[in-house]
Amino acid sequence: MTDRARSERRLGWLLCAPAAVAMLAVTAYPIGYAFVLSLQRVDLRFPEEGGFVGFDNYSAVLSSELWWTDLFNTIFLSVISVSIELCLGMAIALVMHRAIFGRGVVRTSVLIPYGIVTVVAAFSWQFAFAPDTGFVNQLPLIADDKDWFGERFSAFSVIIMAEVWKTTPFMALLLLAGLTTIDDGLYSAAKVDGASAWQRFTRITLPLMKPAILVALLFRTLDAFRIFDTIFIMTGGAQDTQSVSILGYQQLISRLNLGLGSAVSVLIFLCVLVIAVIFVKGLGARQPESGRA
Amino acid sequence: MRGRRRVRLASVACVAAIGVILVSGCGGDDSEGTSLKWFIAIQPGGSIQKVAETCSKQSGGRYDIELELLPTDASQQREQLVRRLGAEDSSIDLIGMDVVWTAEFANAGWIREWSGRDASEVKRGVFPPVVETASYEGKLYGAPFNSNTQLLWYRKDLVPKPPETWDEMVRMAEEIGPGNGGQIQVQADRYEGFTVWANAMIESAGTQVLSGPETVDLAPAPTERALASMGLMANSSAAAPNLTTSDEDTARLGFEAGAAFMVNYTFAFGSAKENAPKIAKNMGAARFPGITPGLESKPPLGGFNLGVSAFSEKADLAFEAAKCLTAPAQQLTVTELDGLAPARSGLYDTPEVKKAFPGFANLVRESIETAGPRPVTPAYQDVSLAIQSALHPPTKIDPEDPEPVYDELKDKVEQGVNREGLL
Amino acid sequence: MENTGREKTLWTIALVLVLIFALIPVLWIISLSFKTPATITDQSFIPTEFSFENYESLFTGGISESPFIKPLINSLGIALITTFISIILASFAAYAIARLDFPGRSVMLAGALAIAMFPPISTVGPLFDMWRALGLYDTWPGLIIPYLTFSLPLAIYTLVAFFREIPWDLEKAAQVDGATPFQAFRKVIVPLAAPGMFTAAILVFIFAWNDFLFAISLTSSDASRTVPAALAFFTGDSTFTQPTGSIAAAAVIVTVPIIIFVLLFQRRIVAGLTSGAVKG
Repeated sequence: MTDRARSERRLGWLLCAPAAVAMLAVTAYPIGYAFVLSLQRVDLRFPEEGGFVGFDNYSAVLSSELWWTDLFNTIFLSVISVSIELCLGMAIALVMHRAIFGRGVVRTSVLIPYGIVTVVAAFSWQFAFAPDTGFVNQLPLIADDKDWFGERFSAFSVIIMAEVWKTTPFMALLLLAGLTTIDDGLYSAAKVDGASAWQRFTRITLPLMKPAILVALLFRTLDAFRIFDTIFIMTGGAQDTQSVSILGYQQLISRLNLGLGSAVSVLIFLCVLVIAVIFVKGLGARQPESGRA
Repeated sequence: MRGRRRVRLASVACVAAIGVILVSGCGGDDSEGTSLKWFIAIQPGGSIQKVAETCSKQSGGRYDIELELLPTDASQQREQLVRRLGAEDSSIDLIGMDVVWTAEFANAGWIREWSGRDASEVKRGVFPPVVETASYEGKLYGAPFNSNTQLLWYRKDLVPKPPETWDEMVRMAEEIGPGNGGQIQVQADRYEGFTVWANAMIESAGTQVLSGPETVDLAPAPTERALASMGLMANSSAAAPNLTTSDEDTARLGFEAGAAFMVNYTFAFGSAKENAPKIAKNMGAARFPGITPGLESKPPLGGFNLGVSAFSEKADLAFEAAKCLTAPAQQLTVTELDGLAPARSGLYDTPEVKKAFPGFANLVRESIETAGPRPVTPAYQDVSLAIQSALHPPTKIDPEDPEPVYDELKDKVEQGVNREGLL
Repeated sequence: MENTGREKTLWTIALVLVLIFALIPVLWIISLSFKTPATITDQSFIPTEFSFENYESLFTGGISESPFIKPLINSLGIALITTFISIILASFAAYAIARLDFPGRSVMLAGALAIAMFPPISTVGPLFDMWRALGLYDTWPGLIIPYLTFSLPLAIYTLVAFFREIPWDLEKAAQVDGATPFQAFRKVIVPLAAPGMFTAAILVFIFAWNDFLFAISLTSSDASRTVPAALAFFTGDSTFTQPTGSIAAAAVIVTVPIIIFVLLFQRRIVAGLTSGAVKG
């Protein structure tokens, strides 16, 4: 190895080190610490208690109906909102791509939801649907006293709407970037061969965009799985609308039961890991991680 | 290049902003005397600021009370505080404790005991149920600062005589009819207010949730009667359409919009006077309804007690300040500015209280005197969450057969007291 | 193109739909913020009476009593400091990844990707416990550190994508002229990379400005509480009244500057958001 190569290598490590430390300090170490806590009885309200309890906290969580309800809620919300986002995002990406005019307007307006604080958006939607302040119940076809947050699935529909509103722009932009990489020549050739617009979409666009779609889905699914802000503001988890993140927050921060809460945290981490592995498998070996993309 | 100039401008702006923030963050305050930090829920009328100022002045410069105002939502106040106390933060001296926190804080060793002459001074003339909320295992841990209770508010033009029981109220409301205001407003969202309601129902039926910090009571017959009344109300046409998301504020809005009945704290009167003067003119106040005819109800009890943090380095001064803050004169200031009920029963004949509660000062006194406080246990948070998870939404209670819900309630509260499982 | 007329109409309809969808919640919260307390529950989309009451209430009492000024300063300060540090650290790492050949750079990229997917709730409990032991609880650094962690992957991916586009021959030239790799980096590359860094900075700032979970879990007073957390704690006219008007006004104040920012720099943001994800 030459001196140059050696110094380049050292510089590479040196430059990466601070970022690596900053990233690990608040993830790897805490998740390890969470695992240690989850094996103990730790309740800050009862400082004199303590001690190793093995996997008791895990069995308490896994045997609780609440965990499974909340896991179902989280998966349900993620699947529904990400599917809607994908369709909507694809539609927006397509119109932006084939814009006749007003491309800038669309781009500008879809970026607005991206820039807005999630909590603010959640409040806005909540006030809009609240039976006492909102305009939604004044719209035709909707009962004046409909209590949207008083029932599980109507509350879910508002939560999903807020999530979709906030995150579709991101999805649309990712998909648009994928669209622009497709060679226009392919379309012209297909057109000459007599392929309909739909055929062109399913035979050319979709297969070629598979990697972009999978990446976008991966990011959004994992993001949706962490849903917290919107539910916290809108229902606080009432009417069985709790997500696993809210469940964890309640054990950790409201009850200060760090043992039980850490068990929930570790389980959420494992869920995320499983989702990520599934997607990465789906992406296959086509993950260009360095060099030219 | 336009882009690059923008970048440079923006970075200059960033640096400048950081500078401003750092400088403004360093400006200390110029208080004299020892500063005492008082964590308490904010009151919009400004009474907290006022009494803090008065007592600081009265101390002759020995202490200076600095406020750290907490959010109005009780659960959030608690979350903020317990996180600090759990962290053994010595910057807290005085704590405005909601009546239900005493056991938790005392058991964890976060607050100091009141003893000797100080204890008898802050207890003097205070309603017995209020003293109970400030005590744990026979020792006093808080100086009662203010109290609060719920009354039954009704429309005198629609209801000739206020109902004595919940079932009677439901019948009356159904007779009036939902189109004409035959509605009962309660607090039944899934939050602490729901526990307040459920506990008052159970207490009013003649039993209690806990008989000791770790013993579940919930005698079957009366508890089921209480649950049946909740179920009957929730499933009747008298229930508000937003029942399962209702809180103190939606209840008063519903009443101001024409509902015939509401159970709510005393703030509802002032609010109606301001926002719906026509309704306020016919607004009657009565005792919180009971469950069984002939058995007096046990109304909900709210309010704050002042505790001295175990981690405070100025405990002596903090006790002194708490004594001043809870003295009769200060309690009256709080009543005057924020309409909160005093914790000392002797103050109810004063003009301040009579003005704050026109025509119903005695009713408030009686209501607090005979109130049914919420359970006293270090695991209060868990018990409250357990009650909410077992009974919410109240529409699930079958008034003809409340037994399944009763079994669930008993199981969950048992779990809550032992702090087991997820909540 | 066939059917230009029809296509034009369809396109216009699509445009209008997208616009309405994107703007309704914003217009609604602006409308709410201008309503008077008496009309806040009138359920009308357009205020019938305009007033600035809600805005005034946010600022009355000055810095010590206003429920909004301190959180606003906290939000700005924490987000700016996070952005500043995050961009510096990310630039170092991204330069190394894009330019240098050393074992471990694919690990670094994969690691950053893993962090981007990490569920924040899983760290909240341990962080709370660690912070209370270290005295970082309810302080600025207590929030800046986790924000750094979770914004670095975003910044690194964006910057790697930008750095790969830079004409590095210039750097070679500098090195031929006798500059060390570090000098070449500082003198030649940093100025060229500034636009990319600015894009990454916007994304990081928006991330830190937006966070709610850490902000409510790791703070407990005005000493460090940021605006999203403070919004959830606003108070109304009495203890039990909903502060709808003040929440709306505060929401508008924290939203409008970001919207202007986003609109001014939309090209950069789009480039930043897409480059990292697609090429990574």
